[in-house]
Amino acid sequence: MTSVTSRTADLGGARTAPAGVTGTAGTAGASRSTGVVRIAGVAWAIAVKDLRIEVRGRYALVSVLPFAATMLLAFGFALGPGRTLLVQTAPGLLWLAALFAAVELFHRSYQAEADGGALEGLLLAPVDKGAIYLGKAFAAAVQLLVLFAATTALVIVLFGLPIGPRPGLLALTVLLGTVGLAALGSLLGLLAVAARSRQAALPLLVLPLVSPVLIAAIRSTALLTAGRTDQVGGWLGLLAAFDAAFVATGFLVFAHLLED
Amino acid sequence: MSLGEPLVRTRPPARPVSGTAVALRGVTRLFGALPGLVRATLHVDRGETIWLCGPNGSGKSTLLRIIATALSPTFGEGTVLGHDLVSGRIGIRARTDLLGHHFRLYEDLTAAENLRFTCTLHGLDPAGIHAALDSVGMDEVADVRTGGFSQGMRQRLALARCRLRDPDLLLLDEPYAGLDVDARVVVDDLLAGARERGRTILLASHEPPPPALIDRTVSIDGGRLTGITGTTGEADR
Repeated sequence: MTSVTSRTADLGGARTAPAGVTGTAGTAGASRSTGVVRIAGVAWAIAVKDLRIEVRGRYALVSVLPFAATMLLAFGFALGPGRTLLVQTAPGLLWLAALFAAVELFHRSYQAEADGGALEGLLLAPVDKGAIYLGKAFAAAVQLLVLFAATTALVIVLFGLPIGPRPGLLALTVLLGTVGLAALGSLLGLLAVAARSRQAALPLLVLPLVSPVLIAAIRSTALLTAGRTDQVGGWLGLLAAFDAAFVATGFLVFAHLLED
Repeated sequence: MSLGEPLVRTRPPARPVSGTAVALRGVTRLFGALPGLVRATLHVDRGETIWLCGPNGSGKSTLLRIIATALSPTFGEGTVLGHDLVSGRIGIRARTDLLGHHFRLYEDLTAAENLRFTCTLHGLDPAGIHAALDSVGMDEVADVRTGGFSQGMRQRLALARCRLRDPDLLLLDEPYAGLDVDARVVVDDLLAGARERGRTILLASHEPPPPALIDRTVSIDGGRLTGITGTTGEADR
């Protein structure tokens, strides 16, 4: 057999160099900058693709949102007509409904990739796989925010939950909470789609790990809707810390999960 | 290209290229305890077109997926386009395309949007999208969602993606499966065009491609490369 040498001669036509392919010129700083731009570009393309599919397919609208609404109604009937109890439990119910709906959303997001073999297309793309993760997490966060807005409106109407005097902090709580859910769900959704048990595996993976985010979000929401702000900063800080940890972990390990 | 053109009957002149495209040495892939590929040693020169033939489950797809880096070898080593099969995955992926059993399409995106997404992932200029679609006779449905496409249309769109990417190494797994005569011409034109541009092609198929389009035939059975016909390179058991 002919000996094999490392050859880099490019037989192809003009094309831009994908991230990760060794270039021939340029400073390290410029390469890093180009790499960041490329990661951002791919992440944006993934997010736009996912959101476009969602808008056209209306999967969340026809399945996830009714699921969350039904769950909230069931809780409402189970708790009875006492307004005090409903208001006290509303923050927890709101986040639980968002969580269970989110699990379905994460599963659907990766199932769409797996069904037509598109996941293999992502695997074989010469891009930083962290960019794929960031794009999917961003799209999931946007969908979760829309979902959360709809379920919050429902909780306000059904349970009489007050917004509280600091709507900005409440919005920040929702934003940080949904980012945490999206960051973790977008990572574990990939594992679940590869598992034999598929859909059943996702809640088992997500629910224990997302507990810190859920507890912090519920506590912060409960304090703010009760008109208190004294301990909110701590809970928001915890949420931000977990968000950063989940996003960083997802960015770093997504490639390993996708490859294996 | 028009779909009515006659099938290529004469071997198109391949652009003269030199060097090794694929070099596998003792590559084995196990699926649990089951061997998918056993000690495969294969050398493919740049610009060659290889037909991989063998029965169902013989290991054709496994071999192509290992070369495409969709699967890692359990044992053995190799290089593809000068990049190591394991440590050089990104380099291989940038210059290789695998058209497999799944067409990797998003049903809620249009044909053009699917190709535009490919352009983003692979750093390609999207200006060639309509030309690629036209080359497989699908420019008229560029703005139609692929969810309503027939199997043949999806396969044509996947072939358009191959044309758009124009990779140095093209891996085709059963490209003729389920295609009518017109669509088979599209596959053959893709092969002929890639050969003319000096691309390396590995084609796994039950059905033989036109003899004019292939340089060598590699037989595979039970995960083992069992024979070879042709004039260049070698395949060892």
